[in-house]
Amino acid sequence: MASKIEKIYMALIAMEKDGGTDVSPSILVITFLYLVAVLSVPLYAPQKLIWLAAYPIIASEVYGIGYSRILYRSLWILPLLAIIGMFNPILDHTEAFRINGLLISRGWVSFISILLRGVLALQAVVIMVTLTGFLGVFNLMMRLGFPKVLCTQLLLTYRYLFVIMEEAINMKRARDSRGYGRKSYPLGMWGRFIGQLLIRSTQRSIRIHRAMKARGFSGVFPLVSIKGWDKKAWITFFGWIIVIVLLRFVDFSYYFKALIRN
Amino acid sequence: MHMADALVSPAVAGVAGVAAVGLIAVASHKVKEIKRDDIVPLMGVLGAFVFAAQMINFTIPGTGSSGHIIGGVLLYALVGPWAAFITLCSVLIIQCLIFADGGMLALGCNIINMAAMSCLVAAPLIYKRIYSGGRGHAKWRIWVGSVTASVIGLELGALLVSLETELSGVTALPFGNFLGLMSSIHLVIGICEGVATAVVLTFVESYNPDMLFNYFVDKTDRKINGRRWKNVIWAFVVIAIIMAIGFTWIASENPDGLEWSIGKITGDTELGVASIPSTAFMPDYDSTFAGIVGGLIVMVALWGICAIIFRKRRVAYSSSEKKND
Repeated sequence: MASKIEKIYMALIAMEKDGGTDVSPSILVITFLYLVAVLSVPLYAPQKLIWLAAYPIIASEVYGIGYSRILYRSLWILPLLAIIGMFNPILDHTEAFRINGLLISRGWVSFISILLRGVLALQAVVIMVTLTGFLGVFNLMMRLGFPKVLCTQLLLTYRYLFVIMEEAINMKRARDSRGYGRKSYPLGMWGRFIGQLLIRSTQRSIRIHRAMKARGFSGVFPLVSIKGWDKKAWITFFGWIIVIVLLRFVDFSYYFKALIRN
Repeated sequence: MHMADALVSPAVAGVAGVAAVGLIAVASHKVKEIKRDDIVPLMGVLGAFVFAAQMINFTIPGTGSSGHIIGGVLLYALVGPWAAFITLCSVLIIQCLIFADGGMLALGCNIINMAAMSCLVAAPLIYKRIYSGGRGHAKWRIWVGSVTASVIGLELGALLVSLETELSGVTALPFGNFLGLMSSIHLVIGICEGVATAVVLTFVESYNPDMLFNYFVDKTDRKINGRRWKNVIWAFVVIAIIMAIGFTWIASENPDGLEWSIGKITGDTELGVASIPSTAFMPDYDSTFAGIVGGLIVMVALWGICAIIFRKRRVAYSSSEKKND
């Protein structure tokens, strides 16, 4: 548990340095539309869904992230999605099609669909967050008109994660150094441990907030430099919209079959 | 209880999203009225605290949802209903964007299921009534209030998750079984969450009672819990009507909403396919299978082509990754 806290802490610090090269409001809208396109594909049509993979492939390469990196980051969700869809092949035995006499049920088709939907949706979000950086997303939300209270709260929650982690690590060190070699945390101790962690971090966060106010913090974080909706942004935006609409509504597998047949 | 994007249809997500945005707008307005100096850092640090607590979770098989504590009652007891709602929303948004826990399109569903049900329904109507029901705040009131409110909040959330998944038509698990699985697991989680909340709250009450939300001073809470609590019920009735109208539309999504719209315009649900005869790409195989194989081949080819064309652009990201390592 304690080492997990330290790992998360290090991961958060690593994230701070990541991304933030293309902070444009259009990426949030494009990602949203792509998610709608992916999730609107009927469950028993994975052959349509697979063509939507073109967006993460093209976008990741065009923006210089590299699709291998996006694929690697999105594959961890597969076991989770497999657990989600595991009942579909078990419960739905209706025949979907046969491959050389081998019956493939609709349950398996929907199972594949669930895997694809989950992976593609995650890839789109990963691309967005990689492009904007984690703090950039919150700034984009503010720029797009989300309530300032919520945006400030988002940024503070993110910032105070570090405070909680640091306090937890300090308490863990204190316990280890006075535990006479005992590494375990008995059940009866957890209530006091967590209660104290809450009070300690709250008091520290109040001190931090007072220091911020003393240095001119008015309650709202200033916006980082975000690209406006210039000509290039509009062209990119409509370009991606056309790509996503085409991928969603044109059944490329039919054209592909016709091409192969000819 | 986080729903993944793979679990919801756009229509269900859209309806829940509209309801969630409306509640966030109201909550943002209400939070500004809170006259408490330390509310901003308190909300921030509590958000981080609940975020850390929600990291301990597990996936519930077949339901597409995860089991974990929510923390709504704890937040309510410390900062009141609207601030608790905003705090929990921020936790859900960060989990979605940074840790990909819960889908971006399913965010509205997650906000309604978790934040609204626990902070705006279960906690104000149950915890507050038990906690401030008599003279003095005995510890048993915290215990009974926390456990009851946590269980009911989680069960309401579980019910909504089951309804939303059923209406999205993704899982083959029958609604009754789905609900049974979700509610039984969340009953256990609810009891655990209630006990954990009570332990923390009794500790806070003993060592720093000022941290607890004062129900008798804060006006924002009175609007929910006093004579005007009926307004909240009305708000939920309106949301329920919006969701019911939306869900009725969703229930008939065969073909789905987007294709239906296109079908209305063009007379066909697919653009441009009517003119091409249905031919077999692989003679013995069904078009679904052929489509998947064909699609995979094309996508790999596309990846290769894009990687070659845009290979020079990768420098910026690979160098920043090396720095992180």
